[in-house]
Amino acid sequence: MDEIEKQAGRNMNISAVHAVLTRLEDKGFVTSKMGDPTQERGGRRKRIFLLTASGKRALEEVNELRNQLFNQIPKVALQFKLV
Amino acid sequence: MLKTSPPKWADRFLEWYCNPALLEHIQGDIHELYQRSLRARNGRMADCLFIWNVFRFFRWSNIKRSRKNSSSSFMMYKNYFTVFKRGFVKQKGYSFLNIFGLAIGIACFLLISLYVRDEYSFDRMHAKADRIYRVHEIFESDGVGERSASLPFPVAEALQNDHESQILKYVRFFNLQAPVLPLATIDNTKEFHEARLFFTDSTFFDVFDFRILKGDTKSALSKTNSIVLTESMARKYFGDEDPMGKYLRFHGNTNLLVTGVLEDVPANTHFQFDFLVSFQTLKAFYDGAFPTSWHWNPCWTYLLLKDRESAAPLEAAMPAFVQKYFPEFIRNDISLKLFPLTDIHLKSHMDYEIQPNSSLTTVYVFVSIAVFVLLIACINFVNLSTARATKRAKEVGMRKTLGGQRAQLITQFLFESMMLCLLSVLIAILIVAIALPAFNSLTEKNIPITILLERYFLGLLILLPLSVGVISGAYPAFVLSSFKPITALKSTINQERGATFRKALVIVQFSLSIILLIGTGVAIDQLDMLQQSDTGFTRKNIIMIPVTRSPIAKNYESLKAEFLRNPNTLSVTGVEEILGAKHQVGSFLFEGLTESRPFPRLNTRHDFIKTFDIPLVAGRDYSEDIVTDDSLALMVNEQFVKQMGWKSNEEALGKTFDQRSNRVIIGVVKDFNFTSRHQPIRPLVLDLNTTERGFEIRIKYLAVKISGKDIPETISWMQQQWKAQIPGWPFQYFFLENNLENLYKAENKMSKITLIFSGLSILVACLGLFGLSTFTAEQRKKEMSIRKVLGGSDTEIFMLFSKRFFLLILISNLVAFPLAYILMKQWLATFAYQVNIDFTLFLFAALAAVGIAFITICYQALRAAHTNPAEVLKNE
Repeated sequence: MDEIEKQAGRNMNISAVHAVLTRLEDKGFVTSKMGDPTQERGGRRKRIFLLTASGKRALEEVNELRNQLFNQIPKVALQFKLV
Repeated sequence: MLKTSPPKWADRFLEWYCNPALLEHIQGDIHELYQRSLRARNGRMADCLFIWNVFRFFRWSNIKRSRKNSSSSFMMYKNYFTVFKRGFVKQKGYSFLNIFGLAIGIACFLLISLYVRDEYSFDRMHAKADRIYRVHEIFESDGVGERSASLPFPVAEALQNDHESQILKYVRFFNLQAPVLPLATIDNTKEFHEARLFFTDSTFFDVFDFRILKGDTKSALSKTNSIVLTESMARKYFGDEDPMGKYLRFHGNTNLLVTGVLEDVPANTHFQFDFLVSFQTLKAFYDGAFPTSWHWNPCWTYLLLKDRESAAPLEAAMPAFVQKYFPEFIRNDISLKLFPLTDIHLKSHMDYEIQPNSSLTTVYVFVSIAVFVLLIACINFVNLSTARATKRAKEVGMRKTLGGQRAQLITQFLFESMMLCLLSVLIAILIVAIALPAFNSLTEKNIPITILLERYFLGLLILLPLSVGVISGAYPAFVLSSFKPITALKSTINQERGATFRKALVIVQFSLSIILLIGTGVAIDQLDMLQQSDTGFTRKNIIMIPVTRSPIAKNYESLKAEFLRNPNTLSVTGVEEILGAKHQVGSFLFEGLTESRPFPRLNTRHDFIKTFDIPLVAGRDYSEDIVTDDSLALMVNEQFVKQMGWKSNEEALGKTFDQRSNRVIIGVVKDFNFTSRHQPIRPLVLDLNTTERGFEIRIKYLAVKISGKDIPETISWMQQQWKAQIPGWPFQYFFLENNLENLYKAENKMSKITLIFSGLSILVACLGLFGLSTFTAEQRKKEMSIRKVLGGSDTEIFMLFSKRFFLLILISNLVAFPLAYILMKQWLATFAYQVNIDFTLFLFAALAAVGIAFITICYQALRAAHTNPAEVLKNE
């Protein structure tokens, strides 16, 4: 969340993040485990998400698909010249 | 102080809605973010952010799932049913009591709702019913006159001509103002006097929807001398032959062609008829054209309007209409009003209705009775169920221990009460089926049992067990499900929970019953007073003979002489209407009035006041010796004198009328009730009519006073004389007092029904009391036994037991009396003559309630007093 804010400059709401991560977990792309309780959280534990193998593969697939689509755009379309 | 924690309420809200499995890390996350934002910015921003996050987390996937396990609900209901069945069988007595009491209550409710629905269904079978209006004429000045449901002949046509855009069609009914009309088959083999024969316009079938079996609605009544009759009349006159094309002889001189056969008129119309004759036929009776008088108002007139909205503007145009057409001397006293067809049966109480109508107050009274009885039955149910609650404490404790939630327990007990209600409804339907014939004859209706299959009633029957079950079962369910498992399982607590509430309910029950009892008593009193008390004229031993339009005109004097020859016939006279039931209204211009005014009037023949024993208070009676009496003399009553403002009865004598000095009032009679006692006595004019034409319409009845000895012989003797003088005209008669009883038919019916239903309500209340006392006896068995062991005598125990119930009844009485008084005063206000509310009645009702309650409790109290203490205490 902080990273996105730093790098992309947009705010994300924590509940949206929770929702996405829960969906990914249902699909089996991430697993979760409970972390240690901390003082800052009032003694509550944190849920830590880890990527699984199928998650990694899904990421790669998505990335690949995206690049494939991008490469199919003709050069001409990307050139903007003042006529 | 530094703020270190987020707003508590938001936190609690989160804890409330959030699924416990997810709560920990969600809560942790937003707390962490809170701390961060606290450090980065100020407290208020952090708070806002926190609250915003709490609400953002309010998503479907995070919310608590209800703990109900729906997959097993079918099995649960099966279990509930088994438990219910066992409980029922184990305590057959109570359960039966419960069900039976409720069944009676529901049966009463059903019967009365059948009645009310029938009353409201009058006249609704016509497709255009909402656009049909009847026109009423109110002819009054200074509050005296007539409020007539019928109008002059020409009104309908004139109305339609003037307001063509609003009035589509009009229909008139006319029956020659004769109570019966003679009709016979063409060969005179069958002749009868028909009371329900009407002349009507050919537009009749365009306005009303009566089913025609033979013939064509468009043409059946369009030609002169046609008649349409109902099925049963066809059978009466023609047997099994087809009546179409045959003739009926009307009035001995007119042949009418049968042009149609109608289905019998259903009971729920405000006018019922057997014959309809085409209006054109009347022209022959009135010298070739319809009567054109705007004064004489004998036609019931119905209008079919274009739409409902036309009614108001049409009525507003009436005053102008009256001014335009009605003759000058009555113009200013007349107003015409429109009355919707569907309202006539319950709300129209005008003079000269075709048939007496019912009234809305009766319907309201019945509805309240039905609600009372049902309420009492429901209260019974609640009481008995809560009283027995402690018996099921262990079961409730067990269920809760094994994981039952409160909601489940409530469902269980609601289910049980609904099952009981269902059984009650089934029994109630049975009771209704059995009681319906008796109820029908009591209310003079014809309600078929199959009406329960109608959509409306099916819905009611399904709704009843559900709603009564829920209402009656809600309180016991909540009481039962609130038992704490520990206390329930620990020991058998005989503590009576909710005793005060139950007591309150019993008080309500008995108050309602006592109010019903008192109400019935007052109604019966009022009815008695109306019927029995002195009307100011003799009613007993007076025979009335309808003579309208009969050929008696020429033979009246000789017939009268013949009648009087019999020593048992004391006096003979003729009178315009049935004395005490109806009267007519005439316009008179008396000395001191600037224009003629309407007054109630009765045309009579000589010996009127002698026959009816009406005392003469001033002046003289009409005398046969003074020939001019019938045109130059009038008699009035005391109320008339008062109304005119003359100071004494003597002053009235000699006052002139019709602006001629030789026309004077010659006598004043004592006030008597010439119409029903629903209304106060109004001024009356007695007009002597000795003309032969008088018998056509003015003198409708002969009245003969007989001595009361040898009545059958007197009557057959009269019949012989009649036959001798007036052959070919059947002799019909009736006794005046029988006829007058019909005036109060509505109240009679009502008092009978309230009597029965208050009896039933007391029965139901007592059933409840019985159940309750049985239960209390059981509860307090131990206490009673200990008292006996310690030396209490039988009587003491008995008194102790009964005391608490008596107190309740006493309080119910105190509550009921003022309420009953207020309600009765309101009802009596609708009568002109009111009976005084007798306070001994209240006492009597109280005693009755106490007495009945006593008998109910007696049995249990005696049993409690006589139980052997050893039996009860041996397990301690």
